[in-house]
Amino acid sequence: MARLPVITGLGFITSIGNDRASVLRSLRELRHGFEPFDFLGNPRVPVKVAGTVKGFAFPTNQSRDWRWPAGYTIDREVVRSLAPHGVYAVCALEQALGDAGLARTELVDGSTGLFCASAGSPRLLANHINQMHAVRGERGDPMGIVSSIAGTLNFNLAAHYHIAGAVCGFVSACASSSHALGYAMDEIRLGRQERMLVVGAEDMNTESILPFASLRALSTNADPGTASRPFDRRRDGFVGTGGAVALVVEEAAIARRRGARIYAELAGWGQAGDGYSVAVSHPEGAGLREAMRRTLADAQVAAADIDYVNAHATSTPAGDRSEALALHATFDGGRQPRVSSTKALTGHGLSLAGAMEAAFCALAIAEGFIPGAAHLDEPDPVCAGLDLPRTSLDEAPRLVLNNSSGFGGSNVCHVLRRGQA
Amino acid sequence: MDPSASPASASPTPALDPAEKIRHLPEAAQAAFREFRAKGDPAALDPLIFAILEAYVPRKPPRPFAEYPGGTLLMDELGFDSLAITEVVFFTEELFEISIANEEILAVRSLDDLRSFIRRKVSARSVS
Repeated sequence: MARLPVITGLGFITSIGNDRASVLRSLRELRHGFEPFDFLGNPRVPVKVAGTVKGFAFPTNQSRDWRWPAGYTIDREVVRSLAPHGVYAVCALEQALGDAGLARTELVDGSTGLFCASAGSPRLLANHINQMHAVRGERGDPMGIVSSIAGTLNFNLAAHYHIAGAVCGFVSACASSSHALGYAMDEIRLGRQERMLVVGAEDMNTESILPFASLRALSTNADPGTASRPFDRRRDGFVGTGGAVALVVEEAAIARRRGARIYAELAGWGQAGDGYSVAVSHPEGAGLREAMRRTLADAQVAAADIDYVNAHATSTPAGDRSEALALHATFDGGRQPRVSSTKALTGHGLSLAGAMEAAFCALAIAEGFIPGAAHLDEPDPVCAGLDLPRTSLDEAPRLVLNNSSGFGGSNVCHVLRRGQA
Repeated sequence: MDPSASPASASPTPALDPAEKIRHLPEAAQAAFREFRAKGDPAALDPLIFAILEAYVPRKPPRPFAEYPGGTLLMDELGFDSLAITEVVFFTEELFEISIANEEILAVRSLDDLRSFIRRKVSARSVS
């Protein structure tokens, strides 16, 4: 009998909430997580809004000055080598493990693996490199590398949780944590692991977000209520965010045996490259279209059976258009799924995005609703024919497609399925 | 949003003022550093050394470091690991603007070793 990966635990540190209940409320009520954000104290910076993560403070680059919500214990032994997003990640993973009913002692026997995704910490990396130059290479912070480079999440979480199974980090920009989840599914389907922890996270600060302004990818709309409006005709770029989301993925029979709550089955995944541009989506969404086709084939479901698509749509003019065309091609002529991009509420979490949105899809399946297309006032004409609900719907989706796209034209999708009662 | 709670950015430039580097340590440690700078007596540094150790120990021991016998071993008895030792070394190098070689680190095993080592190193260099 085929081994089936299922989601049994979720943890959230996001702009729209730091726990499952608040995230669920935000998704149902379409409450966004945006606030005015002061980039470098410079009013000439045209970007004015970010998806802030509340309850955390990182006022300096020294971890001794960092603060996180009461209820999480992070010893100095752990925090000393973390980036800010590592702090988010520990909190999210603690939630997910608690949600799944797993003790830390159950993670250490080699049957549990850990796949992570983040871009590293540009802020800490810049700090360490500047420091190196300042002292002409004569000394440096011993935690400089492990706290800042891409991979910092898996280095730290694997050590902290004593993970003896497969451990890896994924770097495909905004598709990174979708890759992590897809390959985590394979680890279970191939019988290599019984359980996988999947964590996506990003810093929420100037150094992680503002560089995207150089690509003209960020919204310059100063209104938090409309700055992120995927698929709207007047969209002008994405709103950056950070945070962390953790998922516990287990082999179904094992999860059922221990009585775990199953949010959703992970029915299939797939990926395809655009082969087109380092930073711009294929104009007709060729790679994403193929990724969706491969994912549906892997899940052995027809496009017409998909009830909801959590679109990648970040609110950039080119990217959303590309995805709309890919969706048209995929669902052409058949039953149309509901489509929304929850980035209208959260902002774009970069490496975090895929895992965050997969977790939202799992919540939608488990709680029986479909998140609406927030902030959509005037749909882009290219979206004509797509079913973009303006409010969240009390409809219980059975099959959900989650899309992600990253730099270099990496496109990754998952199909999540409501499990058998 | 409250800018003090969640700043847009923290300066990536390292702090260069020694007083700023130890602002997070207890007042007794800061006073010890000021006294050392004023009088040049390395023996005055003990409260500072203990405060640095307490700042970097991975898990707080049950008693203050000053209460342990000088022969107490940093790694075997006080819970330091090699990473924490390198953090102490880096902080000490930054504060006193000295360089500490790997072989010198390996020779430091106890509280007394560390205390005498730092005294010796800073004596060899005048701190501005």
